[in-house]
Amino acid sequence: MHDLTSLIYRGCEFPADYLYDVDRDVWVRLDEDGCVTMGMTDPAQAQCGKFVHIRFKAPGRELQRGQSAATIESAKWVGPFPTPLSGEIVATNAAGFQQNILLANKDPYDAGWLIRLRPSRFEEERSALLPQEAALARYREKIDMRQLQCYRCMD
Amino acid sequence: MSFRVVDAGTVSWLDSQVIYHAVASAMTEETEDTMTLMNPATPYVCVGFHQEVEKEVDIAYCEEHGLPITRRQVGGGAVYLDHNQLFWHMIIHRSRAPYRIEDVYAQYLKGPVNALRAMGIPAQHRPVNDIQVEGRKIGGTGAATIGEAIVVVGSLIFDFDYELMAHVLKVPSEKFRDKIYQSLREYLTTIRRELGPKAPTWEEGKQILITQVAEALGQDVHIGPLTEREQAEVQRLRQVFTDPEWLYQSGGLRKKGVKIREGVHVHEAAYKAPGGLIRATIRVQGEVLDDITLSGDFFIYPQESITSLESALIGSPISEEALEQHAASFWQEHQIQAPGLTPGDVAKVIMQAAEG
Repeated sequence: MHDLTSLIYRGCEFPADYLYDVDRDVWVRLDEDGCVTMGMTDPAQAQCGKFVHIRFKAPGRELQRGQSAATIESAKWVGPFPTPLSGEIVATNAAGFQQNILLANKDPYDAGWLIRLRPSRFEEERSALLPQEAALARYREKIDMRQLQCYRCMD
Repeated sequence: MSFRVVDAGTVSWLDSQVIYHAVASAMTEETEDTMTLMNPATPYVCVGFHQEVEKEVDIAYCEEHGLPITRRQVGGGAVYLDHNQLFWHMIIHRSRAPYRIEDVYAQYLKGPVNALRAMGIPAQHRPVNDIQVEGRKIGGTGAATIGEAIVVVGSLIFDFDYELMAHVLKVPSEKFRDKIYQSLREYLTTIRRELGPKAPTWEEGKQILITQVAEALGQDVHIGPLTEREQAEVQRLRQVFTDPEWLYQSGGLRKKGVKIREGVHVHEAAYKAPGGLIRATIRVQGEVLDDITLSGDFFIYPQESITSLESALIGSPISEEALEQHAASFWQEHQIQAPGLTPGDVAKVIMQAAEG
């Protein structure tokens, strides 16, 4: 079920109050304790298809912007989950994905989060992140050009 | 921008993995999209990115037979690779690749599929990523994002050593190994098996592939060497790929059964029925039981009825109800006596196997 404040384009949802790295296909949510939660955007989960496995970097690891925080294997593809922000991994959703590997395919913006991070250069790096409407404008081009349609797993 | 083909020829087993990873990880938007071609001088085993070597590969067998083991940064299962397979790797900058992975496959498998067709093999791309000839697989493929590149890998299989492939996998029983061997023979074919003496030579095959890839992409293709930056990356990755930490990292990915081709898997399970242990080694095609071997220490009379029971179960849908029904009719028809073993137990062990 989509949030009423979400913007939806060709089945792809973009919730309000999130920031987006459109090139890396990652969403970022600012948490009250100064950490951020991150996950794959709806177009990204639709693009890679059903997850079959995910391996996380361990909490405590320091990452530079662009480095991989996890590797994902779907039925037909393997690739990294690149962090749009530098910082220390404080938590991963390994337990959630262990229970249900399709979490990000079903609920990419909430239960399907991947990583919580304590950003080390947030003020400097946040300018690359776009709010909902600006992100959708960029995504619209990407989605149109590639004729993408988002689907969610129901089972 | 034109398209580069790097024909590396016959290379060491290690370089047959390292070179395409190096081209991918060195790629920037300015690099030409590239296809690398090569075959390994000596055979080896390669596991999928997230697999655990100890759980997937018979390491003792590989050591005994001098087969090195390595890991690729592409998904999928463990495979046996040797000089009769011409590896091709399409390495495309992500800014120029389709967004959806299905479209990546559709675009970049066209060349290899057309190459097989040009040889006289009616190959087809079976989405998402199989290349098949009349239901038999003639090439597996995979895709990955490595650095800024999208990589699609596959091979033209001139010949295949079915027996060695069945031996390098770690399996729960010899019956399971037999089933894998039979299934590979049934569902995996090769260029020479399809064409016999009409098969192209290695060099002819390679030329056909290059021509068809160029045509399918509609791009100017030229043969070129690795750049200095790529060569340096080759040096670096040789260290990574021979580091035990790379090979023995615990991935934890367990796939259900062994995939033979898209939609065909071999599985096994054992179940303790009151009358004894019953083991089912099965092959599932789609949602149907395609083949089965039953074994264990249960008692069944008449003794030879076990083979007919297996035949009676083949073709049943994979559902506990349907399997139990098939077994129950067999029980009745053949007046089976099997103390402590019911048609329900037979259905249960097959379902356990199918569900992994």
